[in-house]
Amino acid sequence: MTLLDKVHQEVIERLGNLSVTARQAVESVLAGQHRSVRRGLSVEFAGHREYQPGDDLRHLDWLVYARSDRYDIRQYEEETKLRATLILDASGSMGYGSARQTKFAYAQALTAALGFLMIRQGDAVGLAACDTAIRHFIPPGSTMAHFLNVLAALEETAPGNETSLAPVLDEIASRLSRRGLVVLITDTFDDPQALLRSIHYLRHRKQEVRLFQILDPQERTFPFQGMIEFVGLEHEPGLKLDGDRVREHYRQVFQGHQQRLQAGCHACGVQMETCWTDEELFTVLIRALAWR
Amino acid sequence: MIEFLNPLLWGGLAAVSTPVIIHLLHRRKVKQVDWGAMRFLLEMLAKRRRRLFLDELLLLLVRTLLVGCVALAMLRPAFHRRAAESGAGGIIRQGRTAGVLLIDDSLSSAAGRAQPVFEGMKKLGLAYLDSLAPGDEISLVLMSQSGAPANDPLFDIEGLKAHLAGLKSSYVATDIPALLDAGLNQLKRHINPGAELVLLTDGRNDGWHEEDTARWDELRERLRGPRNAALGTRQRPQVIVLAPEPAALDDNLAIIDLGMDRTLVAAGRPAGLGVVVANYGKQGSRQAAVQVAVNGQVIGSEPFEVPAGGRQELVFTHTFETAGSYALEAALVNHQDLLPADDRRALSIQVEASVGVLLVDGGNSPAGLQSKLGFLAAALDPDLGGRGPFKVTRISLAQFAPSLLQDYRVVVLGDVPVLEPAMVDALERFVVSGGGILAGLGPDSDLTLINRYWARNGDGFLPCPLERPVTPPKPALPAAISAGHPVFNGFGSRSDDAWKAAKVRSYFKLDVGKAKGSELDVLLKMDNGDALLVERRRGLGLVALMATSLNADWTDLPLQAAYVPLMRGVAGHLGSFVMPPRNLVPGDSIIYARVKDPAKPMSGEGPSGKPMKLTPGSWEGRAAVLSEPLMEPGVYLLHDPQQPGPIRYAVSVAPAESALLPVTDRQMALALDGGMSLFHDPGQIAANLDPARRRSVELWKWCLFGALLLMFVEGSMTRRQALAEGKDRAYGLNRANLNAGLKL
Repeated sequence: MTLLDKVHQEVIERLGNLSVTARQAVESVLAGQHRSVRRGLSVEFAGHREYQPGDDLRHLDWLVYARSDRYDIRQYEEETKLRATLILDASGSMGYGSARQTKFAYAQALTAALGFLMIRQGDAVGLAACDTAIRHFIPPGSTMAHFLNVLAALEETAPGNETSLAPVLDEIASRLSRRGLVVLITDTFDDPQALLRSIHYLRHRKQEVRLFQILDPQERTFPFQGMIEFVGLEHEPGLKLDGDRVREHYRQVFQGHQQRLQAGCHACGVQMETCWTDEELFTVLIRALAWR
Repeated sequence: MIEFLNPLLWGGLAAVSTPVIIHLLHRRKVKQVDWGAMRFLLEMLAKRRRRLFLDELLLLLVRTLLVGCVALAMLRPAFHRRAAESGAGGIIRQGRTAGVLLIDDSLSSAAGRAQPVFEGMKKLGLAYLDSLAPGDEISLVLMSQSGAPANDPLFDIEGLKAHLAGLKSSYVATDIPALLDAGLNQLKRHINPGAELVLLTDGRNDGWHEEDTARWDELRERLRGPRNAALGTRQRPQVIVLAPEPAALDDNLAIIDLGMDRTLVAAGRPAGLGVVVANYGKQGSRQAAVQVAVNGQVIGSEPFEVPAGGRQELVFTHTFETAGSYALEAALVNHQDLLPADDRRALSIQVEASVGVLLVDGGNSPAGLQSKLGFLAAALDPDLGGRGPFKVTRISLAQFAPSLLQDYRVVVLGDVPVLEPAMVDALERFVVSGGGILAGLGPDSDLTLINRYWARNGDGFLPCPLERPVTPPKPALPAAISAGHPVFNGFGSRSDDAWKAAKVRSYFKLDVGKAKGSELDVLLKMDNGDALLVERRRGLGLVALMATSLNADWTDLPLQAAYVPLMRGVAGHLGSFVMPPRNLVPGDSIIYARVKDPAKPMSGEGPSGKPMKLTPGSWEGRAAVLSEPLMEPGVYLLHDPQQPGPIRYAVSVAPAESALLPVTDRQMALALDGGMSLFHDPGQIAANLDPARRRSVELWKWCLFGALLLMFVEGSMTRRQALAEGKDRAYGLNRANLNAGLKL
């Protein structure tokens, strides 16, 4: 099944199966999203022209009239499209999965679904797949053909190296010249301080950031019993530990990481959504969309 | 000091290694898991590696200690505070008591003026039992049952008191060292920390065996225990002696000996019967008489007068008309005293028609006085007519054949140089089946052959091997005899002086050390200490060995007057030797070794005609019948269908029990090396054995408490695991609710 088929099955068809009321609710949310995105953007000033009868008097530049007794209308280059960049973490840790799919597969589907929804409402969507560096970068575009390129890039990507999102985010921030939306889809298994710093930089670069944290349930519960040799997916040295003995300590460390991330995101005004790989993708989307 | 009351469970401490072993086995089973969130594990280890290690170590330690506490509790440790030595200050008990009551219920305890001494002993015993408390355990060991299998200790003090009250004295002889030894062995069956050996004695001197220093030294060593053992513990038990106040010397007449004047009693010839009466009182005997019966028929009665402290021997003569087993009984008549049981004595004898003696001469000519066995033949059958008790046949070595042995009771080898292997085998069978052999050495004796085939390092028929021939520069003189041995019955009072004229010019030094255990009897020694005449039992028979010649080749003993009674004594003893013995003491069992068909049933009865219970068994590898221990003195009859008449056994009390001499406190203290408490009165016992005074503490409760505590600690340390699992389950439930809620 291709990514697109999966998105169809998981999102589109489910949307179609919703009751009319529910579909309207979803679509109104989507529409509201669109409008809210638009509202969130600034409109660029493009110059003056002479007033013509029928022009909206709200756009009359009264300062010019006060200075020159001329009736000039302000012209704007209005942004009607959202420019979203979907950043997908393709590090080795994303390859873990105890449920029916790995975190990376889940993240891929989520990325595709989000991208599809945005393309459908006429927004521009780009992709950056990365681990320690950017492996694929597709600038935002709003056509379906462009989206298919994004999907193809997604399908080609496989999890690999270590995680180092901070420098990657900084680089992406420098590439994004215009205001937009950055959706970060990662397991956040990185230095939280560095990651939050980079997110903060993105915010400084006038990007709205949404963080989707993809986690496997076992990464929270740590259900391992007895002596286990843990082999890292990012070339870390193996560790032999007694699962029963270290479980509580692991959970404390994990909780600490979560709390730091949540606090940091809240301070940056970044919405963080934790997605478990045994959760339905559709449910995650609805929850995410309901933020607005 | 700490004593472990269940030392057999030391192996249980090995269980302490179980948690460690489980831990190590657990660590070996490693599963491999690919894991994405390694950074959290690494972060956790960076922060908490030490704590994890300490947690694990602590849990392992707790589990090991838990098992250790349980194992330690099972060892029953008891802490004993060192008590003051016992004495006037009373006895301090070490916790719960394990007491072994050793009761001397011997014959002498039946004597007494107002009542038997045994009744007073029982009162003392009951007073001791009253000093015990619930939880104390007690064993009873009776002198009369010291050979019986041991019983387990009892906690039922009241039941034991009832049993003690119903006991009666027996006819056995006292043996205090044996009783103490039995008590120490019985103590091993006890489990309580405090240990007491309580000797309940009649206060008589007999049975203490103070002269047996080796036995007492060993006993005292065992009673003393290890160097730092606290008094009153199982390693060093408290010795308590309970004895009624020593009574004044009681009057007692007793028959202390009954015997024949010869070893071989021949049918049709008069034989002398000696009865020795002793007077252990302060007054002379008056109007008493001795009556003698043979097989229940009175053959004579004679009055006597014995002064106080004196003895008298009365001799009766009787002719036994036919061969067979006879029981002789001597009894005091017209007399009553404090101990009637020793006023009678019985003796079992075997009367022979005659004893066939085969003389095998090692020389060339068996006839004449100058041959190897000429003097011996003359001593046994002076008129050479065979009319005496010994029917003598003389042959040369060449005429000697195994088939001849069945017709004789005694075989004499006179300086035989060599024997065929078949003859050696036949001689061994002969003696094992009840025959007697007298071997005399001489100039023709081959030391190497004799040692290799006849002696075989103590395993052959000869009593012992030979070391070397000896010709001392000055002839050796026979000097010391084994006093009381039947061989010397014929010498009477002259037995000590009879040898001094004889000279031994040459002899073989006998290697008496090679004889196993105490089987070898040295009957006659020379003045240089070397053995001259020895005997040793083999199976049902006897073998005697003369280290020098039986003729005048090496010694002039045959020319001395002592020679004839000596040789007749030896030949008579060899020819009439009866095994297993038929003269017993109370406590012995009848053992009858059946030479012929063991399948045919036998029966027996006791002194009052009461049937005896006989069980088949074995004795020294041959079929035998055995009775239960015989406790009553008198004559017992055994009926073997293959014998013409009954076989008579005689049970008589030990003469030493008749003396009734009191033992002093000092004598008892000396025997026990001062390490004892002595009480004569029940009141003294109550005052000194206070049940409230218990010094030692048993620690097993604390060990179990410690184990419970550790179990609690272990549970709380691992409880976090259970709580965490509970949280997982709760987490799973919440997620299910959330998912259900979102389904539209």
